[in-house]
Amino acid sequence: MHMNIPSCYSFAIASLAPLLAPLRLRSAATAFRSVSYHPAPAGSIRTSVCVGNSLISNKSPTSLRMMSYWNRETSQPTSKFEGPITKEARILALCDPSDAYNKPLYDGPLPEGSKLLAVGSSLADFDQESIIVQDPNVIFVSHPKARGPLVELLNKFPSVEWVHTRSAGVDFIASDGLFSSPVQLTNAKGMFSSTLAEYCMMACAYFAKDLPRLMRQKNDVKWEQYPVLEIRGSTLGVVGFGDIGRASAKLAKAYGMKVLGLKRSIPESFSDPYCDEMYDMSGLLELVKKSDYILISTPLTEQTRGLISKEVLKHCKKTAVIINVGRGPIIDEEALIEALANGDIKGAGLDVMTVEPLPKDSQLWKLDNVLLSPHNMDMTLSFMRESTEFFIDENLPRFVRGIDLLNPVDKSAGY
Amino acid sequence: MSMILSRALGRHYAGDLSKLTTLAVANSRSSRLRHSGRKKVELASLSSSRSISGSSEMQKKAWDTQADEYKFWNREESRSGQAQMVLDMSPDSIQKEARILCLSAADDAANKPLLDKLPFGSRLLHVGSQSTDFPDELIDESPNVLFVSPSCPHARLILPLVLAKFPTIEWIHVRSAGIDFLESDELPYVGKKGIIMTNAKGQFSSSLAEYVMMACSYFAKDIPRLLKNKDSKIWDEFEIQELRGRTMGIVGYGDIGRAAAKLASVFGMKIIALRRNPEKSEFDPVCDEVLGTGRLSLQKLMSVSDYVVCSAPSTVETRGMVNADAFKASKKNQVFINLGRGPVVDEDALVEALQNGTLRGAALDVFATEPLPTDHALWDLDQVLISPHNMDRTATFMHEATEFFVNENLPRFMLGHSLLNPVDVSLGY
Repeated sequence: MHMNIPSCYSFAIASLAPLLAPLRLRSAATAFRSVSYHPAPAGSIRTSVCVGNSLISNKSPTSLRMMSYWNRETSQPTSKFEGPITKEARILALCDPSDAYNKPLYDGPLPEGSKLLAVGSSLADFDQESIIVQDPNVIFVSHPKARGPLVELLNKFPSVEWVHTRSAGVDFIASDGLFSSPVQLTNAKGMFSSTLAEYCMMACAYFAKDLPRLMRQKNDVKWEQYPVLEIRGSTLGVVGFGDIGRASAKLAKAYGMKVLGLKRSIPESFSDPYCDEMYDMSGLLELVKKSDYILISTPLTEQTRGLISKEVLKHCKKTAVIINVGRGPIIDEEALIEALANGDIKGAGLDVMTVEPLPKDSQLWKLDNVLLSPHNMDMTLSFMRESTEFFIDENLPRFVRGIDLLNPVDKSAGY
Repeated sequence: MSMILSRALGRHYAGDLSKLTTLAVANSRSSRLRHSGRKKVELASLSSSRSISGSSEMQKKAWDTQADEYKFWNREESRSGQAQMVLDMSPDSIQKEARILCLSAADDAANKPLLDKLPFGSRLLHVGSQSTDFPDELIDESPNVLFVSPSCPHARLILPLVLAKFPTIEWIHVRSAGIDFLESDELPYVGKKGIIMTNAKGQFSSSLAEYVMMACSYFAKDIPRLLKNKDSKIWDEFEIQELRGRTMGIVGYGDIGRAAAKLASVFGMKIIALRRNPEKSEFDPVCDEVLGTGRLSLQKLMSVSDYVVCSAPSTVETRGMVNADAFKASKKNQVFINLGRGPVVDEDALVEALQNGTLRGAALDVFATEPLPTDHALWDLDQVLISPHNMDRTATFMHEATEFFVNENLPRFMLGHSLLNPVDVSLGY
């Protein structure tokens, strides 16, 4: 199995990696090569592969890319980073200074070789003269209105090489300015997956056991037995089989569901124990036709905006339930509301909406067959702090040692 | 007879006889069920084509019908149709005819498989809901099988009368999992007369496991708050809890408990289980800890569990088992889920624990009195999820339970083989 390469071989492969650039080899080297968008500066030495990045074998054997990604449930925290520190990390935090989740960053201690220069929510908050002489090279972003300020910071401080976002979605900072700049971008992929998978199964059960009916009957003090649906044997269609999709598929398989998946591009000889059939984008209608529960777990990109259109909704089963944990604009919200109101689909579980907070005049508030949550189904007590800690404990030590960073974002793809 | 049986079975359990004998030794009651988890898989995958031959002594040893895997049925895991296949292949292996009486409500739709699809060698003599519904002439036909459905009103009073009228009955099959609806002073005589009783254990487990996870998420993600906010059009981003890392305690670790544990463990929960025979679950990969019965065990379970699932049957031993003392030991913010039988829990103590905040909430599918009386305190408690004993009620569940009788146990009865899901009448489950 590719995954179990002993670290000494990994070392050899990693140091040869630059030479193997043009070749698509099925080896650990490929994993690192194909996701390193920022070519190592000339003269830097990749001294070793982090031993802590060994993921447990229940990952798909063919998803070698996954070795470069963090999964909160299966990845082991790195206890020791090998190799000398080759550069300093000088960090600007584009964040709300009062954001308690960032305390580990603001208060420290930060790993050896890193220091926080300043915190601010816009360019005006940063004292440009004093900062520019300190050569900031890292920006940590968590402020929701960071899109414009980030580009301004990149323009003002061209020494920045790396931008890390505290969230998984990068749509909130997507811009031409960011994507055309040479900086490396990393994010919090894999931090929130299992919680969202729990929400997915809860949404399925909400409709299968008709929880709204239970609540109504309780309100009316009525004892009336009615038949419930089994989740076992039904089909879950996962649109966007990434980390969140896969975590949900894992639970769905345990329930005895059939799982259909959809990915933008399917690697050769793809196989995954948690997915029975995998489709690419051209198979969306077919997937939707066959699914009893449809999970939308793609990121928001130009390709996925409006993906679940009126046309797609027409192909859904009348008993279908749509669950959205990706981003609101992936679904045509007007068309969805119409389908729900007309009974063309059975119901929807929505944790994300086109406009958040949801405007009071939206019909979604009033539809009986909608389970609404205010984009909080991954908001555990610890989640954002854990994400900040991931930046501090995993990626910062890698940066200062010149090791490949985890969770690289493909700027051309937008996620 | 046993040669035919063995040759017939040999096609499906073809394999090294010595391997089977080893398994049998390993599985005998006196030794640990060390291979129990793997045993079914091993038998199914034995690839050698040498068929089993040998005396019936070897047969009995090779297939220890006392081991749990062979005694009990699980709808998701057990392989169906084996006994029927044997019958189909060699009808002359039938040892005895099945002459069936059905005790149920007259219009019970789930009797359909009894009316339509009985295997060759069995006959349905009559359906009735009282002893007098069965004509006296039937006594001459020597009915030997009684199929009892919980749809029969006052079944606990009628059953002894039917048995007295038809002394040739040797086997009673109950269509539900719970047999508490048959409890009476006369019931123990069933065991003494040598009548075998079987039930529908394992028929409903996966639906109930789905309900368990829904009930846990209901509180972890605070569905009541979501619904209230939706009603008032309030956008309130509150923090939710994960199930991952939490502990689920299962009181009464039978088929339903195990199905719930399997799901919960995939969610990343820790499982602590309580059952009368803890050694049977010693090597259960899904349990982190198994406890026996006893006041201290229950207290321990209550003190470490974030979510408690009560899936025990209602028997003399379990009645009122989860009482005020148990709730006193409850972990902070515990959620209590009952899907076994209402009487296992002291309902007053439960209401008290909910009202004084000992428990964060409860999800109840079963109650001491059903339907739940409209003036019962539980209706008014916001933190209680009430369902009308329907969380296993899929559209087909009762049909499937009847089909289990028709497809699995009837053929076994006719072949003279051990029946699945034996009930210990003295224990009550």
